[in-house]
Parts: sequence; C-alpha cells; structure tokens
Amino acid sequence: MGRLKQKGKAGAAKAYVTRSSAVKKLQCSLADFRRLCILKGIFPREPRNKKKANKGSTAPTSFYYAKDIAYLAHEPVLKKLREHKAFAKKISRALGRGEWSTAKNLEETKPTYRLDHIIKERYPTFVDAVRDIDDALCMIFLFASLPSNLRVSSSLIANCARLAAEWQLYVMHSHSLSKVFLSIKGIYYQAEVMEQTVTWLVPYQFTQNIPSDVDVRVMLTFLELYQTLLGFVFFKLYTDAGLVYPPPLDTSKDESGAGVGAFNLQETDRSVPTSVTKPANSAKKVSSKEVRQTIKNIAADSAAVDRENEMDVDYEDQISADADEEFVAHPSTSEPNTVAALPTLHSLSAVPLPNSTKLFAPYTFFLSRETSRPVFEFLVRSFGGRIGWPASSGSGSPLLETDESITHVIIDRPLVVKPNETTEERERRLRRKYVQPQWVADCINAGKILLEDLYAQGATLPPHLSPFGEREGAYDPTIGLSGGDIMANGEESEQEEESDAGGEGDEDENTSTSGVARVATTVIVADDPDTLRAAELTAEAAGMDYGAFEREVKKSQQKQKSSDTRAEGDGEQDMNKMLMSNRQRKLYERMKHGERKRAAEHADLEEKRRRIQKEKKRKAQTT
Amino acid sequence: MAVADLKKSHKKRKQREDVEEPEKGAFEEAVGLEMLSDEEKDAEAESDKDDNEVDVFPEIDTRSDSEDEDFEDSEDEDEEEEEEEDEEEDEDSGEDSDLQIFPKSKTVVSDITGQPKRVFPEIEPDYDSDSSTEEDPNRVGNVPMHWYDDLPHIGYDINGKRVLRPARGDELDKFLQTVEDPSAWTAAFDKNTQMDKPLSAEELDIIRRLQAGENPDTNYDPYEPTVEWFTGKGKEEIMPLSSAPEPKRRWLPSKWEKQKIMKIVRAIRQGRIIGSKPTSSDKNQVYAIWNEPPSNQPPPLPAPKPRLPTNSESYNPPEEYLPTDAEREQWEKTEPEDRERDYLPQKYSALRLVPAYDRFIKERFNRQLDLYLAPRIQRTKLNIDPNSLIPKLPSPSSLKPFPNYKSLKFTHAKGRVRCLGVSPDGAWVASGDEEGVVSLWEVNVGREVKRWKVDSKVGAIEWCPRTDVSFFVAGIEEKLHFFIPPHLTPAVSNLTQSLLAPATLPPATQSAIKWTSSAASSADGSILTINLPPASGLPKQLTWHRKGDYLASVSSSESQGGVWMHQISRRHSQAPFKKIKGTVQLVLFHPTKPHFFVATQRYVRLYNLAEQKLLKTLMPGIKWISSMDVHPSGDHVIVGGYDRKLCWFDLELSDKPYKILRYHTRAIRSLQFHPTYPLFASSSDDGSIQVFHARVYSDLMTDPLIVPLKILRGHDVREGLGVLQVKWASRQPWLVSAGADGNVLVWCS
Repeated sequence: MGRLKQKGKAGAAKAYVTRSSAVKKLQCSLADFRRLCILKGIFPREPRNKKKANKGSTAPTSFYYAKDIAYLAHEPVLKKLREHKAFAKKISRALGRGEWSTAKNLEETKPTYRLDHIIKERYPTFVDAVRDIDDALCMIFLFASLPSNLRVSSSLIANCARLAAEWQLYVMHSHSLSKVFLSIKGIYYQAEVMEQTVTWLVPYQFTQNIPSDVDVRVMLTFLELYQTLLGFVFFKLYTDAGLVYPPPLDTSKDESGAGVGAFNLQETDRSVPTSVTKPANSAKKVSSKEVRQTIKNIAADSAAVDRENEMDVDYEDQISADADEEFVAHPSTSEPNTVAALPTLHSLSAVPLPNSTKLFAPYTFFLSRETSRPVFEFLVRSFGGRIGWPASSGSGSPLLETDESITHVIIDRPLVVKPNETTEERERRLRRKYVQPQWVADCINAGKILLEDLYAQGATLPPHLSPFGEREGAYDPTIGLSGGDIMANGEESEQEEESDAGGEGDEDENTSTSGVARVATTVIVADDPDTLRAAELTAEAAGMDYGAFEREVKKSQQKQKSSDTRAEGDGEQDMNKMLMSNRQRKLYERMKHGERKRAAEHADLEEKRRRIQKEKKRKAQTT
Repeated sequence: MAVADLKKSHKKRKQREDVEEPEKGAFEEAVGLEMLSDEEKDAEAESDKDDNEVDVFPEIDTRSDSEDEDFEDSEDEDEEEEEEEDEEEDEDSGEDSDLQIFPKSKTVVSDITGQPKRVFPEIEPDYDSDSSTEEDPNRVGNVPMHWYDDLPHIGYDINGKRVLRPARGDELDKFLQTVEDPSAWTAAFDKNTQMDKPLSAEELDIIRRLQAGENPDTNYDPYEPTVEWFTGKGKEEIMPLSSAPEPKRRWLPSKWEKQKIMKIVRAIRQGRIIGSKPTSSDKNQVYAIWNEPPSNQPPPLPAPKPRLPTNSESYNPPEEYLPTDAEREQWEKTEPEDRERDYLPQKYSALRLVPAYDRFIKERFNRQLDLYLAPRIQRTKLNIDPNSLIPKLPSPSSLKPFPNYKSLKFTHAKGRVRCLGVSPDGAWVASGDEEGVVSLWEVNVGREVKRWKVDSKVGAIEWCPRTDVSFFVAGIEEKLHFFIPPHLTPAVSNLTQSLLAPATLPPATQSAIKWTSSAASSADGSILTINLPPASGLPKQLTWHRKGDYLASVSSSESQGGVWMHQISRRHSQAPFKKIKGTVQLVLFHPTKPHFFVATQRYVRLYNLAEQKLLKTLMPGIKWISSMDVHPSGDHVIVGGYDRKLCWFDLELSDKPYKILRYHTRAIRSLQFHPTYPLFASSSDDGSIQVFHARVYSDLMTDPLIVPLKILRGHDVREGLGVLQVKWASRQPWLVSAGADGNVLVWCS
C-alpha cells in the first residue's frame, strides 16, 4: 500500500497559483507584479480543471504557473522595484520636510534597472527576437507620432522616433520590404528580415490622442521593453550589415524636417583592425585576394552601370562594402588541390537580387505636395528608386521638381487644367507620368510595374486588395471578376446562373453533378423513352427547338437527380450521426456551423457584387 | 515723576535764561516763594547742591528745582545747556514743518558711553503741559454724551451755565459744506462740543501713518543702527569668570577630524567612494547581446501574431465589401466585444481623404492586454473534413430487408391502443385498447376476425410462443384472461382447449391466486382467467418463457413488487421474490439460460433462477427504465428509458452500457429485437419508430455492429403519447406498432 494521497498536495493544486497569492508571495504591489509580468512575458494559464487548481473553489480567478512565479521571485528587476519603493518613501519624506539637498542626493542615486538579461532570456537567439518584433515596431511607430504630455515625455517620443527611423533605414538599406497595404487603420508593411516575416502597422500622419479608457502605464511598460529589445535587435542588424549603430544624426537636417534623411548610414571601418591583426600574408594569398577583388570590382562596376543614376547613399555604401574584406581560402598543406569553395557573403550578394527588390530602380519619382513624404520615400527607396519632394514636405530632397530625370510624379489631387502653362512646363508634364499613390503600393504587391493608365491623376482607382490574402476558400474578388465578364454576355445567362447559384454552394459538386447528369439523361432516356418522346413531341408542337428542349430536360433531370442524391445522402448521414459520440458530434456541429457561416458570407458577398454590377449596367443603359 | 519734573525744570530754566533773563528777579520771587512753601525739606538739599553748582550757575536760584539732584545731574545739565543751543538751531530749521505734535527729539553723543543718543525736550510742568487744564467750554466731565440726547443743552460750562447744543444742519447742509469747504474732510466730530472740529496737520499725519500700518511717531526710525553695548572693540571681557586656563582646542587643529577626513580621502583614493555619477544615458546603451552562445533552455513560446488584414480593411475595397445600411445598423447595435470585425469597411476615392483611425491606440492597448492578461492555450487545429467524423457504416440499402413503408392500418374506434401481440407464426395480431376491446386481426389484410370485450382497459397482450397450441393472454385490471383465436385447426384447437381447461385439474397448490377455467364460454370469452391479488392494478407487462409453460406478469402497483410467475401446466402462480428493492418495471426470461432479468426504476438485475441468486446488476444510467429486451443470443440487452436514452449492454463485457444512443426526441416507450433478423426497433412518444440493424458476432473480439436504418413516421402524437408498443412479426421483417392515436400499423419491407 502506497502513501495516502492528500488533497491539494500534488497536481493542479500545486502547479497553479492564483494571481492574488502570487502577489502575496512576491511581496510586491499589483502594479509591480503587472510590470514584471509584462517585462518577463509571463501570462496567466487556463488550468484544465479550475476547481482542482483553485482548491475546490470555482470563483473566477486568473491562474499562473507556480514555476513562473518562483522564477519571478529571483528576478533582479523585482529587487530593483523594491529598492525603488524604499527610494520613493525616502524622497517623499525628504520633500515633505523640505530637505532639498537630501532629496537631490537621493534623486541622484535613484535605483534604475536594465532589461538586458530579460531580453536575453526571452529571446535566446537573434532569430527569436526578430520573429517577435512585430508588436514592438507597431508601438514604436505609434509613439513616434504621439504628442508629448505629462505622462509621455518628449524624450521618450524622440527615442521612439529615432528607433522608427533606424528601422526604416535598415529596411531601405537591405531592400527587405516585401508588401505594403494601405488600410483604413494605417499602413501595413511587411518585410523579410533574417528570413522572418515582420509585419508592422503605421498610423497615418495625424495627431493621435490617448483615450481615457487606455491605461498609459501598461503601454509605457511595454514600450520600455520594446525600446530595449529594438535597440539590441537594431544593433545586431546594423553591425551584421556592416553599419555603424546608432547611425549618426545630423541635427541641422533633423531640425529642418529631413526625417529619415537626417541619419546617415556609416560603414564600420573594419579594414583597420583586420589589417592590424592579420599577419603578413604570403605572396600567393595576396595575389588570390587581389584576383577576387578585381573580379568583384568588375561585377560591381557592371552592376553600377545599369543603376547609373542611383546616387543613393545606401547603394554607394554597399559598393564600398564590396571592396572591403575578403574570405581567403587557405589550402591545406596535405591536400593542396582541394579548396573548399564555400559561397561567401560577397559571392551571395553578387547574385542578382530578385527583380522585385529593385522594382523602382530605373525610375525617379517626385512627390506632390499633398502626398505623405515619409511613406513614399520609404516605399520608393526600399525598392531602389530615387525620389524627390518639394521643400514644403521637408528638406533634404535630392532632386528639384525641374529635374529632367524624373519619370513619375506621385500626385493625389483631382485633375485641374492650368490656364497659363509655359511650353517648358507642358513638355515636362507630358514627359512624366502622373500616378496616384495607390499605384506604388499595387506595384510593390504585384512585384512588377503596373500600367500607369489605370492610376492616372483624377482617375477612379481600381480596388486596393490586401496582399496578405484571405483565408482558404474565402471570397476572392479577382476571381469573381472573370465570372462577371461571362455574366455580362446576356441577361438570360445571368439569370440562369443566378438561379443556379441560388441552389448550389459548392462548385466542384456542380461540375460533377453535370457529368452525372449527362449519364443520367441517357439512363432515363433508356428507362422510359416513351414519356420522353411524348414530351418531346409536345415541346415541338409548342414551337420549341430541339436544343432548347434537350437543355430543359437535362436541367430538370439534373435537378431531380441532385435533390434525390442529397435527400438520400442526408438521410443516411443523419442516421449515422446518431452513432457519433457526444464529443465528436459537438465538434462536428461546430465545424459545420463554421462552414455554413463562411459559405453564407461568401454567398452574401457574391450577391452584393452581382447587384452592384446589375445596377451599374442599368445606369450605363439609361445614360 | 521725578525725572519728568527734573526735565521740566531744566526746560524752564533754559527758557528763563534765553528769553527772560532781564526780568530774572521778578520771576525768582514768584517761583521761589511757591516752591518753598510746597517743599521745605527739599530746599535744604537744594542748598547743599547749590554749593557745588556755584561756579557753573552762580545766578540761578536753585530752590526752584524740586528733587534730589545730585552731582551727576548737574553735570548733565551743563552739557545739555550747551546742546540746547544746537537744538534751538534745529528747531529753527524744522520750524516750517508743522507736523510735529510730539516733542521733537534730538540726537546727542552721550559722554558716558560715547554713543549718540536721543534726547527729548523737557516738559514744562505748567498748565500748558497738561490738556486737562485747557479751557473747555463744556465741563460736564467724562460722561456718555447720549445722556444729553433729548436735552437742549449738552453740558455746563465752568460757571454752571448750560452750554446749549450748537445748531447742526441736516444732511444737505453737511453735504453742501463738504462741497464748499475743501478742507471739510479733515474735520472730526467732537462729542464733547457736539460739533466738527478741524484736525491739525499733525493729527492727519498720524491718521495717515496708522492707516499705512506705520509707527505714528514721525521721528521713529526703524532702521537706526544697533548700539553695541557689550561687544566690539574695547569691550572685551577684562575680568574672566573662571580662572581655568584656556583649553588647547582653542588653538590646536582637531586630530579626530583629521582622522575622519583621512578616512574619506583614503576611500576616495581606493575607489570605494565614487563621486556622483555622471548623468550618462546608459539606458540606451546597446551591445551585441546575442554574441554569447544562447543558453540551452528552450525559448518561451512566442505570442500569437495578430491576424493579418483582409481585403475589407483596405482604404479602397471592392464595393461588395461595403456594408449595407442594415449591416451597418446591426454592427452599431452589437456590443464592441461581440463584433465580428472591429471596423466597418469604408471606401475612399483617394488616399489623401483617408482620416485618422480613431481606435488605433485602443486597439494597440487591447493587443497588449491580450499579451499579458489573456491565458494562452496551445490548440492543435483540426484540419479535417467534418464529414470524416461521421462513422463509416454500411449503407442501409445493403442491409435490406427491413420495414420501410406502411402497408396497412388497423384502427380501434376509440381509446388508445396500449398493447398488441403477434402470433408466433406471424399471421395474427391481437391488439387491446384502453376501452377494454381486444381485437384479433390478420396481418396480411388487416381484417378483424374477432373482438372481445373485457371489463377494464387492457395492459398487456402476449401470445404463447408454443406452435402446437395457439392462444394469447391479455392482462386487465387484476386479471389475466386467456383467449383462443377462432378458425384453428381441430388438432391445435383441441390441444389448446385441453391445456387451458383440462378435464382433470392438476392438484391444487398453496397459492393466493385463483385459476378459473370456463370451457363453455371459450367462444366469446376467455377460456381461463387468473385472478391476481386484489389491488394489484393493471398488469404492465406479460412475458413468456420460450417454452411456453411459464408466464411472468408485472403488476403496476403492488407492495411485493408485483411480479408473479404462472405455470400453465400446473395452474400454479407464485411470487419469485419475497422482497425486492425498488419498483419493478419489467421482467424478462433469458432466451437460453435459466436466468431472469428484472428491471427496476434505475437498474437491471440478472438472477439465476435455478441457483436462486443475483448474477449481475446492470447500470444503464437511465433515470427511469421504460423498456427492455434481450437479444435472441442472450448476450446482449437493450434498455430504453423515459429520458430518451437507449443503452446497449454486452453482458460479457461490462455492467456499463457498451453504447448509448440518444436520438429520440421524447421518451422511449418500447423496444424489441427481431427474433430471427438482425434488427431491432424502438418506439417513442415523439411518434416515430426507429429501426436499427444490430448484428452480433459470435466471436468475442468483434463489437456488435449497430447501424441506424430507418425512421418510420406514421403515428400521431396524442396528449403527449406517441407509439406505445412495437412488435416484430416473427418470420418476416415486418413490424407492427400500436399508437396512442388508436391506430395499429403494419410496416413491411
């Protein structure tokens, strides 16, 4: 006989603790506990059986893993928080007594904590960190656009703006932007960094106000973590790309509103330390290096030829980076012939990038005054294009409006005929293409340069679709378009399809049943040819041609058949459902419910679309 | 008093000197006489003084001086006299400012202290010096003046004459006076004379000073330099208070202080004490944190990413995504938490028209709340076709034959049909209704052959399973009637007659139950009647042993369980249980073994009749068992309950149901296995009959196969009652069902 088991000594009762007991154990306030949870990434858990976890009580509480709480108890930040509590007491006492010098001394020795170890714990590898920067980027971009107030200090906002600019610089430099979506909430960007998909949302350039039902302390705690995380991530990204981090900021440019352009990316000067550390190489090695370098230079030159007009800082940097340092294969003494030809970073970078990353390389853009400069500067430069803007959008434009190399003008205003236009202006206008901002986003998402005519100034834009796609089997407006063309053939066909679509939800079922129907007709014809003959005769007498009659027959048979099979199948399935276990039945019902809902949504959208098209047609006919 | 007098005297003397020197003699006389008469003692003292003062003031008559003037005073006087002249000059210069009401003071250097001091002029002790000696017209004294309010006078003068109240104008006069006289505001009301009295400039100045919160004295200087009486140069302590020598600490530097300072200095040198840190921005300090190899702990699970935006979130979506008015209204009506989407799709014709999204911060905040407040569960997402969850069963069409259509209907005119029995050869059906009518009819055509009328409603009908005889039993209130159908072959008829009403009765046994045969009335009545104990109620169920000799009956209400077992051959009845737990619902004979099933309200118990012991208790988990049947093989039992459940028991397997089927929407009323085909049927109060294929395998490893085949609908639900009993025809896959609507239906394949 084993030991008697006692209640509450093992299992869920030990593995979970409620929040209040966790706070009691850590001996901190609830606010400190919340801060710790946010920083350490600890979240409540849902025990399988709440009653067992809560020692028999079913009161609504949130549970944490007891191990998580034990882990929090050793947290250095918790210690600092306690110190801070004591400090707050001391300083309030000093202030209350009017001991200013004591208060000043205390303020100087205020306990602060660092989050480095937490970053390292939460993200043991760099890839983990990159995978999880989505939320951080969203927050940074949001706070970069907030006005400062008592609770949100201006230095915080400045830091957020700096981080946001650094991220944009990196994405532009590495050409890693892949998708962009102009939504009603803001602009979604997606980039591929370190083979991780990073998506972030940037609000439009308007002043945001923090609503009263939002707890700013929570947001600021998250922001604290995110700033630290992004600092480390950017440091790693920049140093891996051979850039200096943080990029030096040109204050005068920043003050004149240059935005991202106020930072200038600098190559880290690696040649100096390497040359020092490297011993004097033998002549052979030097020669091989030289050979490679010349090859590289040639490649770089040829690459530079087609992007001649690209004067971008980033690109120049890249070329200069090529000339830097080289892997040199040291053939082993025993087997001098086998030289491992590993692909080096340079050889990989020499491989031409996929076309889409240099999508705008051949073009030069100019922004009209009403378009958002930070957005389009980022987009165009990420895809290798050159861009200029009027001085009203900020300083630092590399181009003037009169520049001859400008090929596209991004303009977002209705078409207005200028009465007094000089011939020069007119020529310039005809030479350039005027497109609306959506064209840039659609080109990026399509991965190719789209026809500019659809997006011309003042034109009604084609719909802007999400590049992230919908879920499987959802309504796709692009597929519907082709169907719409077919529908436009005639009224009859439209009606026909409408009646069909009303009855049937699934498409492949439709095709299969049509196939079956053909067989079925023959069968039925074989079954009772007399009745069919009779019907045919009556139809002929009514003046119906044979083809129409046959179609009718087919349709009716098909309908009958399908309804028959469905009724039979449904009946059988209903009977079989009786034998499912309760759990399976519930799961089944849930899945079916979801399916039905999606189908209804799909049908609803199609229906709406059909109605809209019909209305349009009617309008076209009347006018 | 003495000092004041002294000063007065000084002043007097001075004035005398300055002004009245020529008429010295006359004055001397007048004053000196008076003084002498007043103070005789003082005069002597004066004379002493006079001796001393002779050289300075030889001509002054010292008698006029009043008190004990000593030598010092006289010296003082000397000096003052000199200063008097200065003062005179001061007065001359200050004469133009009439603001002086207080006596003017002057600053002199004291020859004792060497410090300047203020000296006030002497006050003359004559009539002028006292305001009380002024000429006052009203000598009424210090009495409240309102005593004279109603009188024409305001007091009395020095002669005792009335002082009449001066004429006072009315308010208008007063006002006019203020207008005419620019200095009217400087007047104050004098109560004593009851008239306005102009204030002097000095008085006005005092008022002004009081109003400004200043000292009323014009000469008062709040910032005059302090007089250092005891400190400063030349005032050192000449005579020490103690004779102790001066301590060393007064002139030696402290050793302890030096030690303490050296301690701090050493600590600073060794770096133990660090000065206030430079306010560096180490908050932003970043370094290559991922350069060290990662710990081998697995990283915590990353938080789930938010869903990516779909087409409907675009600023320029296809038009079909835009909500209609109804959808918009619906969206606005639902609670924000219940909304499927947190936004309404909108379309803008140009990017510049897109406004700020007002819930941006709120959404970010909600995301963060999700991150740190929401419990996370890792779920494996099932990516399966829901139809694959439905068990794969053979198609019903491959399991034919089974009853699937209604072939004929037999109707009882009134009353619901409670029970029915199908003859062992499957040709006849006897059905009994609640009006007490038992009808015998043919299955094939539904023609009624015979009808019996009994006393009360019929509770149960059962045919004897023997094939060599043919009769059925109908249970009515406290009685069991045995009926022989007509049109039997003579052999069968004779055998039945002899069985039920033998010529020689077997020996009577000890039993409370009476068996009465009535061979004569066999044609239109029952041939044999068993009288159950009184107050036993309607027999709920009758069941035959397979050999047809034993019949068990369950009465609806009796204390002893109401189970009786009747043996036809011996015409004997007995109660198998002395006592039984719970009310017995049903009993059944095991088809092959001498076992006996007893279903109480919650449990089914299996007894061995031969050994007289309990074998097994089945626990179906049904609240109230309504029906039960045993598979012909004897290893499987189905139990139905009023709580709509149907339980299949495998007796070899467990006491718990092997399968629970819950598919009737109302209470199950009746169940039966087909004796030969692998079928069973269940009927329910929802008016439907469900037919199942139930194949039982002889090897123990294979589970029985249960396939739902057909739902038969044809009975109406009356007063909440549907199909009350179903019975299979033994040789065909045909089903006979009795409904509460008074119909008996035959279902054929």
